[in-house]
Amino acid sequence: MLLRKLWRTLWRYKAQFISMVIMITLGIGMFVGFNMEWYSLETDVNEHLTATGFADYRVYARSAVMGSLTVDDLFTQDELDAVRSIEGVQEASRYLSVNTSVKGEDDVLALAVSENISVSGFTLISGEPYDPESLDGLWLSDQYAAKNGIALGDSMTLTYSGYEMTGVVKGLIKAGEFLICVPDETQLMPDFNSYGYAYISPAMLNAVKEELLGPYRLAITLMGKSIDDIDMYFQINVLSDLDKKTFTEAVDRALDNTALVLGRDETVSYAEAMGEVEEGKTMGSILPVLFLAIAVLTMVTTMHRITANEKTQIGTLKALGFRDGRIMRHYASYALMIGLMGSALGIGLGYFIGWFIMNPNSAMGTYIDMPSWRLIVPPVCWLVLVGINAFLMGIGLLSVRRMLAGTAADALRPYTPGRMRHLRIEETRAFKKLNFGTKWNLRDCFRHKARSFMTLFGILGCVILLIGGLGMRDTMNVFVNAFYEGAINYRQLVNISTDDRTAAEAFCEELGGDWSAATSVQFRDKPVSLEVDHVTRDLVRFLGEDMSYVVLEDDGAYVCKRLAGEFGLKAGDKVVVSPYGTSDSYELTIAGVLRSMSEGFVMTDAYADSIGLKYDISTIYTNEETILKDGMVLNVQSKEAIMKSFDTFMELMDIMVAALVIGAVALGIIVLYNLGTMSYVERYREMATLKVLGFRDLRIGQLLVSQNLWLTVLGIALGIPLGMWVLQYLIDALAAEYEMIMSIQWYSYAITVAITFGVSLIVGLMVARKNRFIDMVAALKAEE
Amino acid sequence: MAIIDLRDVSRVYHNGEHEQRALDHVDLTLEEGQFIVILGPSGAGKSTLLNLLGGLDSPTSGTITVDGKDISRLSRDEMSDYRAATVGFVFQSYNLIPTLTVQENVALVKEIAPHPLSSHEMIDVVGLSDHVHHFPSELSGGEQQRVSIARALAKNPKILLCDEPTGALDSETGVMVLKLLFAMARQRGKTVIVVTHNQAISKMADTVVRVKNGHIISCEHQDNPLTADEVEW
Repeated sequence: MLLRKLWRTLWRYKAQFISMVIMITLGIGMFVGFNMEWYSLETDVNEHLTATGFADYRVYARSAVMGSLTVDDLFTQDELDAVRSIEGVQEASRYLSVNTSVKGEDDVLALAVSENISVSGFTLISGEPYDPESLDGLWLSDQYAAKNGIALGDSMTLTYSGYEMTGVVKGLIKAGEFLICVPDETQLMPDFNSYGYAYISPAMLNAVKEELLGPYRLAITLMGKSIDDIDMYFQINVLSDLDKKTFTEAVDRALDNTALVLGRDETVSYAEAMGEVEEGKTMGSILPVLFLAIAVLTMVTTMHRITANEKTQIGTLKALGFRDGRIMRHYASYALMIGLMGSALGIGLGYFIGWFIMNPNSAMGTYIDMPSWRLIVPPVCWLVLVGINAFLMGIGLLSVRRMLAGTAADALRPYTPGRMRHLRIEETRAFKKLNFGTKWNLRDCFRHKARSFMTLFGILGCVILLIGGLGMRDTMNVFVNAFYEGAINYRQLVNISTDDRTAAEAFCEELGGDWSAATSVQFRDKPVSLEVDHVTRDLVRFLGEDMSYVVLEDDGAYVCKRLAGEFGLKAGDKVVVSPYGTSDSYELTIAGVLRSMSEGFVMTDAYADSIGLKYDISTIYTNEETILKDGMVLNVQSKEAIMKSFDTFMELMDIMVAALVIGAVALGIIVLYNLGTMSYVERYREMATLKVLGFRDLRIGQLLVSQNLWLTVLGIALGIPLGMWVLQYLIDALAAEYEMIMSIQWYSYAITVAITFGVSLIVGLMVARKNRFIDMVAALKAEE
Repeated sequence: MAIIDLRDVSRVYHNGEHEQRALDHVDLTLEEGQFIVILGPSGAGKSTLLNLLGGLDSPTSGTITVDGKDISRLSRDEMSDYRAATVGFVFQSYNLIPTLTVQENVALVKEIAPHPLSSHEMIDVVGLSDHVHHFPSELSGGEQQRVSIARALAKNPKILLCDEPTGALDSETGVMVLKLLFAMARQRGKTVIVVTHNQAISKMADTVVRVKNGHIISCEHQDNPLTADEVEW
């Protein structure tokens, strides 16, 4: 019989029931969805990387890092054996990856060779299995093939340093090493239309060696070797569980030279993917938790109100002889039902959100290239689900227990809210001048503190989500515009490979360009970039801390904001850096702090020359449109191609913002409607009295709406700074990846205010409409 | 002079297939400035009659004229205006706004009544000048009922409609409230209509209307009504 009563109670409070189920669904959905996103990403990425033998360490020859390749930097079989014999190394392979141009296209293809394909290999998606002896086989990125209409069996001709080689596409693949397929870290998003990768066999590499090493024949002969003795690998990739310090020391001993060793964390693919996981964790740890907290708190208020309304029924059951425990279980099962339904729907919503962000066709799919996109709920979510349901049941039990307190006669008495007390502000002259409606609403807010607080909390949540979402978009927009639209003042960049500075400078003059040289240096045990720039034509700009463009001075080096923050560096400080593969070290004076995409130092060529730094020019920036791809030219990238990748990046941002805005509106509507209905029910008798006195429906409606609007004003006033604080927190959490400065456009504030007010007004009017149906007679007959 | 005139008034409630005639073809005329008591057992139709007079409900058929105006077919807003200008209500359960003080509860009607009286004066009339800043929950039942009378009076209505005004009060407080209502008729010329099932109150009335099963079974004028002190409670 009680079960039947449960269904009727449920029907009686259907508005509350439905809104609570929706709130719990949204709360759990957001929580599960956002957490599922990073957890699935982490799991799927790691599985892909393990399956393809993604290297734990990469040992580079010095010149590979300095930008130009010389023969004495290539790794020999003996060196590979030495590395492989290090205790703790499971597997090692000589590896090569160079950027080649696709003949007849503007595309760049990274060409990779791994001597032992179990290290830094790939997963075959379609076509023939990898054949290490193949002399013409190309195993091509399936994404690049799809975007460029290349099919199995097609021929491709690739150009490197003026040398052409042709292969046949034998397989379509996904490689862990190219998980995030970008040419360098300045490019945010992969663009498989113009940049991809392919593997060839060591046999094919060996076959083309003669042509490639031709220019170095003399040097090779002088070294007492022949071309046959030399293998084209300037990298050894290693699978090992050793920590970096132990491994680096072991490698140094094995190779008798300071080689550059980069761990997984220092590769673009792994670092960016894990950055994405961290971003997901950050996003999952604030906004969904806020959502869930609001859902649970609203539930506390609602359950209390429902049991308060049911007090006489609870008393009746008690008077009839039902034991307290039985009555408590009865109402707790109501709360549990909400929890279970909300959880079930929430998990469904979570899977949808997870899928929406993380599927191969989403923006994430454009960013990360892997074969499996399984969605997995993290174990912690299951624990949270169990915890939430237990908590909701606890709320139900406690709410009823309060109503059951005392004797059966006590329980039979209707619930009376807290006694009215005078407020401090009533002493003020301003309060005395307020009209009755204002006083009524103000005192009502204080009398029903929990309800008012929850309404405010709901509005705050709505504003925080809106400011957070829209502000993040603005911040990213400003950042991307300043970094790319503004700082890239050239039409094309040309990557070159030469150790002949005069030739490079002449080529730069010929192109009417500016140039830069990039190298890797060790700074306090950390590999960071060191960029030397020669800018006379304003083709490249540098962003200062305040997002304005800075002209580099010749009296020192500029440090990126991340390093400045991490090591507390400021102008005037002195630091020491050491280029990898050398025993040289240089003392730099810090001239200032820059916002940069890469972690490291930037300086002018004049300053570099003044400290005696050795470098090779690696990039020329130019406005020339036609550049001949021969001689020292490795490849050419247009500004247009670079910019195109940001559209995808911003698209990902827009999807997240849209999700947050929809979430904010849903949250606002549900919380305000639920609490508004509650407020209406609680003030039903008062409104009936006003109606009897002669107040018109419209005026009573205004009174109801105005309370919502005040709380909205207060919510906006508090929510905007809180939203900015949350946004700053998110930006700080993302600081390891992007050196952004918080910037919120005026229209984002306007949209936030308009949406919040709109939601509040619409919900207020929806509730206020009900006052037309107040039954004055029935309401006033009711017991006080 | 007649202030209230009901002609062939019926009020029928439909509850599913069941039809309940709360008032059945009622004719009634009441004079201005009198203390009128409507008597009847529970379910007789007396509250329905009061609700119709107060503009809380509309008749199913017939016409109700109050102060020369037909109120039986008014729109919602016109009905609100009628309640604001012409009638004041006093309920058994007081129906004060719990979040407003005594003074504010009474002054509330200034927002709607066309010719309101001073709230301070009305609070003084009901003898609660010392309690103006109290909330209803800080008052006794009798005091709350006096606030509700002050509120009804502050609208300066021609008619005071009182539904079991002493129902929730002890007899001593009830007598005090009745005295107050009686004085309103005698001293201020208000038409005071009290609905009750308490026979004793009828002895104070100028006119006693008896209702039973939706019909008016009698409407008697009493030339020499007793004062509240003279009635044996």
